[in-house]
Amino acid sequence: MATEPKSTRQRLLRALSTDDRKLGVTLGPSTVWLAMLLLAPLTFMVTVSFLSVDESYNIVWEPTLSNYTSLFEGQGAFWQTSFFESLILSYQIAAVTTVLCLVLAFPLAYLLARRGGRTFKVVIFLVLLPFFTMYLVRAYSWLLMFGPSGVINDTLLTVGVIDQPLTLFNYGKLAIVVGLTHAYFPYMLLSLYASLDGIDFSLVEAARDLGASRTATLRDVILPLTLPGIISGSLFVFVPSLGAFITPRFLGQGKIQMIGQLIEKRINSLYAIDYGSAASMFIVISVVLAFALAFRYVSIEELGGV
Amino acid sequence: MAQFDEADDNEKHSYSGERRRFLKAAGAVGAAGVTGLSGCTGMVGGGGGGTPTISIYTWEEYADFKDEIESALDVELDITKGTSSAKMFSAFNSGKDSQYDVVIPNNNYIPKLMDAGLIAPMPDDVVNNFDAMYGKFKEFANTQFSDGSDIYGVPIRFGWYGVSYDSREVSDPEKSYSELWNEENEGNIIMYDNHFKSMSAAALYLGYTDAFEGSKVSLSEDQIEKVKQKLIEQKPLLQGYIAADPTYIKSFRQGNHTIGLSGRNEIVEMWDNGDDWPDLYVPKEGSLAWFEGAAVSKKSENKEMAWKVINQYISKDIGSQLAKVGYSPSCNPNTQENLSESENEMFGSVEPSRLDGFIPFKAVENEEAWIKAWEEVKSA
Repeated sequence: MATEPKSTRQRLLRALSTDDRKLGVTLGPSTVWLAMLLLAPLTFMVTVSFLSVDESYNIVWEPTLSNYTSLFEGQGAFWQTSFFESLILSYQIAAVTTVLCLVLAFPLAYLLARRGGRTFKVVIFLVLLPFFTMYLVRAYSWLLMFGPSGVINDTLLTVGVIDQPLTLFNYGKLAIVVGLTHAYFPYMLLSLYASLDGIDFSLVEAARDLGASRTATLRDVILPLTLPGIISGSLFVFVPSLGAFITPRFLGQGKIQMIGQLIEKRINSLYAIDYGSAASMFIVISVVLAFALAFRYVSIEELGGV
Repeated sequence: MAQFDEADDNEKHSYSGERRRFLKAAGAVGAAGVTGLSGCTGMVGGGGGGTPTISIYTWEEYADFKDEIESALDVELDITKGTSSAKMFSAFNSGKDSQYDVVIPNNNYIPKLMDAGLIAPMPDDVVNNFDAMYGKFKEFANTQFSDGSDIYGVPIRFGWYGVSYDSREVSDPEKSYSELWNEENEGNIIMYDNHFKSMSAAALYLGYTDAFEGSKVSLSEDQIEKVKQKLIEQKPLLQGYIAADPTYIKSFRQGNHTIGLSGRNEIVEMWDNGDDWPDLYVPKEGSLAWFEGAAVSKKSENKEMAWKVINQYISKDIGSQLAKVGYSPSCNPNTQENLSESENEMFGSVEPSRLDGFIPFKAVENEEAWIKAWEEVKSA
């Protein structure tokens, strides 16, 4: 018969003496956290998307598909509805942002992986420096850069490159893409670096020694080896860009309506959480599909750049 | 898992017993946490003895008078600053009516709060400054904020919308909304990023004045479609839609736009800060007037004190100071006595006959159709 533990420490050690208890202590808090802050809201959202809200803003607990059908109801065909147009616009902006981040980050990540050491530290510090400020402040700084009298147009006017402000630098899609690229660039850079850092660069040299052109080496050696980094970086950029709210609100000057803004407007004006939940489901499904697609080509370990 | 399987029955019983104890303890800790949290978020009114706390969800300027009201009423104010009536309503409707005692959105949101059963009726004997208000605002309260027997909101301060312009760039504009559709102003026009303000301006421009006469603004489906088309037609001429009033001033000063739909108080603020180039006119088709309505949460545990706090905001003293900081006149004309001549010109003295011409913000009939049309404008 085991002796009864006397001190709190002994009782605690005994309580944690088996694997399942250790597992409980290790996984318990994160499970509760995920259940409360991810699973519960998600379950609520899915449920509400199949319910309705009455005129007194109370949830009516009768299942309905009306929220989903109303997303695609309008005067014209379904692709002419504001929901569909906003969704497609969000996909387009997220896709362009992802490609832009990839194109800008890849050469830098490659350089960092080849050089390493001090260069890596300095560049990473410079890339992360703006991220010591709030996201709102960074979005706001782009607000000052764009616009007819923004810093970009003013500078070009001052140096005499242009005679009048360029509409290209007005608020709109370009400004949003630039703002989002700036916001999510480090995620792409770090994912690519993690992947490139694991490459055996003697393979690249071997390819070159055997007569492969630079393009062929990039296409046939480097890109396949960095595919996990490209996919993980793309997910880290595409997913938050798809549901972006602050950046398009600031830099679209109200003329561009991405899906996040459409949902926010419905909920804030009409308390249409039923409609908003149904609309949000399209974002959730898109994200799940993006991850499913990613896992077809790479494993979870590879996504981490291992 | 394997080790658990290898354990003997006694140990299993022991484990399950300890697991139950562990779960009990965890439950107790969780309950304590929840209790602690509920203490942090608190039920409204603070309860208990001592100085009561009144939580208010309102606009930034109202916080400036925290100390005066606290010392006048022996109360503690906890003021949360908001930037949108829609967000105030949304917060109240999603459970924060138990967190706040008082909410002060724009007038058209008071009927929504009433419909949702979230606010309490006003006790006449507590809000004794109500009688001093302009007759027009008493009338508004009796029509917009009433269920037929009780009044649920108190008008605090007001203002009106018009078309403001940079007089250095736009000379002698026609006093009409047509300037907001004028191709000469292409790329320099700003509208509000708000379905009610922008669609109402378009509706007035199209001559649908009748729609604003009832207790709610009621545009027919055909009218909504025409308003939508008018706004879509305008979109290529726009610099953009402005989300918040302060953004208007920033954009105007920066030179990003030269003409736009705006509140009079934004322009008064610019005048007061030394900008003499902005000008504003009230379009001949009519203009909308807003006023803020203060209401008390039905769940407040200190309703009487909450109404006393509201009463302070329309008092002669605090009402006049509120007019100064917000550049918007108080609904209590007695506040004019505390303002200088120039202050009265800008945000004090208003002829009651002028108030008769205002088209007040109202709740909207078939708002979902408005929102759908607005979304289509934004997506176009």
